[in-house]
Amino acid sequence: METNRLQKNITENVWLWLVKIIAGLGIVIFLTIHFIVNHLVAPEGLLSYADILRYYSNPIVPIMEAGFLIFAVVHSLLGLRSIILDLNPSTKVMRFVNPLLIAVGSASIIYGLWLLLVLVQRASL
Amino acid sequence: MNDTIWTIELKIFRQRADAQRYFQTFQIEINPDEYVLDAIEKVWAFHDRSLTFRHACHHSTCGACGMLVNGIEKLTCITSIRSVTQNNGKLLIEPLRNFPVLSDLVVDTSSMFKALEEIGFNQVASLPSACLPYERKTLEHERSEYQRLVDCIECGMCISACPVSLTDSNYLGPAVLAAAHDASSQPLSNKILEIVDSRDGLWRCHNAFECSAVCPSNVEPGLRIMKMRQTVIAHRIKKLFSRG
Amino acid sequence: MNINKPSPSHLWRWFDPRDKSIGTIAFIINRLSAIGLTIYLFLHLAVLSKLVAGSQAYDDFLILAKSPAIKIGEMFVIAGGIIHGLNGIRITINSLGFLLKIQNGLLVGLMIIALAAIVYFAIRMFSGA
Repeated sequence: METNRLQKNITENVWLWLVKIIAGLGIVIFLTIHFIVNHLVAPEGLLSYADILRYYSNPIVPIMEAGFLIFAVVHSLLGLRSIILDLNPSTKVMRFVNPLLIAVGSASIIYGLWLLLVLVQRASL
Repeated sequence: MNDTIWTIELKIFRQRADAQRYFQTFQIEINPDEYVLDAIEKVWAFHDRSLTFRHACHHSTCGACGMLVNGIEKLTCITSIRSVTQNNGKLLIEPLRNFPVLSDLVVDTSSMFKALEEIGFNQVASLPSACLPYERKTLEHERSEYQRLVDCIECGMCISACPVSLTDSNYLGPAVLAAAHDASSQPLSNKILEIVDSRDGLWRCHNAFECSAVCPSNVEPGLRIMKMRQTVIAHRIKKLFSRG
Repeated sequence: MNINKPSPSHLWRWFDPRDKSIGTIAFIINRLSAIGLTIYLFLHLAVLSKLVAGSQAYDDFLILAKSPAIKIGEMFVIAGGIIHGLNGIRITINSLGFLLKIQNGLLVGLMIIALAAIVYFAIRMFSGA
């Protein structure tokens, strides 16, 4: 431990940790629903492109998958950040890491939602 | 104590300042009911007077003699030879992890003491706040006018065992966070809240509970960190809604 | 050199279970599964682009996905997900101040559930069900 630095990093508090925990619990809940819905909607599994389109024609599926996507991306990137923090990065490094993680997270969520919309659109045809 | 005498081999970590580290082996005869610290003192007394190590009270009160014994944090004054080796067996003695080595088995724990001081750690506390939450249930008189010494003996073994302290010198560590819990049994002060609810504070613990496993004094730093989390989460959420 | 000071270069020691308690084993598994699942998540998102490419591209990919190597890989993902999820539940429960006196037992109990779930999924997956 370095000395005289106990109040150095007070800009960050419980909220990021809490978001990670809530997202983690969200994943557990959505994954459970995913398995149940999957079992009910497609008991034989999603074995072809046509199966997937049929699966997405059920309105609960895209909502569930969107929630799962957002929680999974948020939880994984906050977890990655937590590992990086354990390696004692300098403030300079974190100034680079934080926007990078936000950019990767935002891009992944936008890409995933776009993918979902394409599938929903094709399923409705 | 019986008259049995064991022959054991001590492999001791040696290092002066930033010089090259090495291990030196000593063979000694000792009663197995004596303690690891006694064995180290025998090495110093009869084999090598240049060996340096910290010790004072010899009854687990001062916290000076924490070391790694066969890779595990032990308070050597209360760790019997019998409990860690056998006749003709070996003992690997190393300094605590995560503190700079000053000389041989002596590490520099000053950073921990400064942090403890800064957080307002007090060796004497009111009876309810000195006890763990589950111990309070057995108190006959949970009255704040009674005081006692707190359990933490500032040995630093919890910091040595912590996986986060291994890589991050900025992490407050279990001893300091447990002390914060001890000092904050009353309503949370802004000072303590700012220190523990920070990037280097409570949220960096990954629940390995290694600190509680090695603590020789039943401080349960892991439990205290979790209790402190509970308090801070409740405080922050309450504050969020009281604003609106 | 003083090797005892905390340093990021000690990160390999995170994964050294020697002389450690069960909590460290949980920490190691949690960290490894976190890294594995993060890699899988982004690989999975990349692979899903095949869906946009149309039915032929995706159905071709599904044939590849049925190969034993991919199936074993998927089994690792399922196992990692179950263990990580259940350990996360332990961390949440403990962090809210509950079941702290039995946190070791809680961990063992959840890992038994994890093992049972992994065996269930493995049987389902490899029996062709």
